[in-house]
Amino acid sequence: MMLSAFANPVFDSQRNFRELLQAMARPAAPRELPVLPPSPAPIAPAAMAILLTLCDATTSVWLQQPQPTAVDHLRFHAGLKLAERPEDADFALITDPTSMPPLDAFARGDLRYPDRSASVIVQVAGFGASHGAGKFSGPGIRDVETLAIEGLPHGFWQQRAELASQLPLGVDLYFVAAHQVVGLPRTTRWLEG
Amino acid sequence: MDTSPHLARAQWMSLLAQSDPAELAAAMDGFAPPADLTWLRPAQTGLYMLRGRVGGTGPQFNFGEMTVTRCSVQAGDHIGHAWVRGSNARHAELAALADALLQDGEQNPSLCRDVIEPLRRALHRRRDEASRKAAASKVEFFTVVRGE
Repeated sequence: MMLSAFANPVFDSQRNFRELLQAMARPAAPRELPVLPPSPAPIAPAAMAILLTLCDATTSVWLQQPQPTAVDHLRFHAGLKLAERPEDADFALITDPTSMPPLDAFARGDLRYPDRSASVIVQVAGFGASHGAGKFSGPGIRDVETLAIEGLPHGFWQQRAELASQLPLGVDLYFVAAHQVVGLPRTTRWLEG
Repeated sequence: MDTSPHLARAQWMSLLAQSDPAELAAAMDGFAPPADLTWLRPAQTGLYMLRGRVGGTGPQFNFGEMTVTRCSVQAGDHIGHAWVRGSNARHAELAALADALLQDGEQNPSLCRDVIEPLRRALHRRRDEASRKAAASKVEFFTVVRGE
C-alpha cells in the first residue's frame, strides 16, 4: 500500500522551503513545518517533508534504515537517487540516532567547493529548553540560544566540535521531532551542555 | 494480444493514452471507482523533451517539447499510472484508474470487453480514415520513375 505525498506539491514544498530557510537563518530555534505529508515507517512525516521539499533526481540521499516501502515511496514521489555510502550522499536521513555513524563519515566538501557537503537530517525524540540544555552561538543568534535536543548519541557534540575546526568544511544539520524542525548550520558553535 | 502480462499492460496503457478522452469517459461511465481510491500523484501537466534522429541518420538531438499530463492512483492493491498527451487532466485520471482496475483479475475481463475493445476499434477506425484520406491525396508523377 503506497501513500500519497504533498496534496499540492508546488505550494506545499514552497511553504516548507520558506520555513527551512528560516530554520537555517535562525539556528537552534525550533520552527513549525507548515505541511506534513503522510510517511511510511521509519521516516517521520517532518523528515519526509524536508526530503520532498529539498530532494529530486539531481540529489543523492543516504538512508540509515533503507526499508523497501520507504525506498519505494521516496523513489516514486521525489525521484531521488539513493547513495550506497554516507560519504557519497548530498542528504542523509538518520532515523535511529543512537546507532548513527560518526559525523565525519559524511561529505564535508573540499576547500574549493565547501558546498559539496552533506546535509544531515536527524529524527530526534524532542526539543526542550530547560533540562540538560546546550548553549549555541554564532551567525543568526543574538548572544546565546539555549536548546536541549533529546535522543542524540553520547559524544555527538564532541564529534561536531571537532568538525568545527575545519570550517568552511563541515556538515549542516536538521533535527526534526513531531512537526518541528531545528536547523544547525556548520557555523553555529556549541558552547557546552 | 500477447499473453505476457507486462506486454498486455503496456498495450492497454498505450491504448488508453491514445484514446479519445470523451470516448474513454463514456466507456468508463459504467465502472464506479472503488471506495478506497488514493490519488498518489494527482494529475499534473508538464513538458517532456523529445529526442530523436529526425532524418533517420546521425546523432540524436532535442527536437521539441511536448505537453504531457501524468497521474497515478492506488485502487485496492493495484497502482495505476498514466501519461497522456496534452493537458487534459480528466483523461489522465481516467486512464490511470482504468490501468489500476485492469490489473485486478476479477475486473479485467469486463473492462477489456467494455472499455479496451471499443477503444481499440475506435483507434483503428481513426487510423484507417486518416490513411484513406492520405491515400486519396496521393499524386502520381509520371515523369519520375519510382523504385518499385
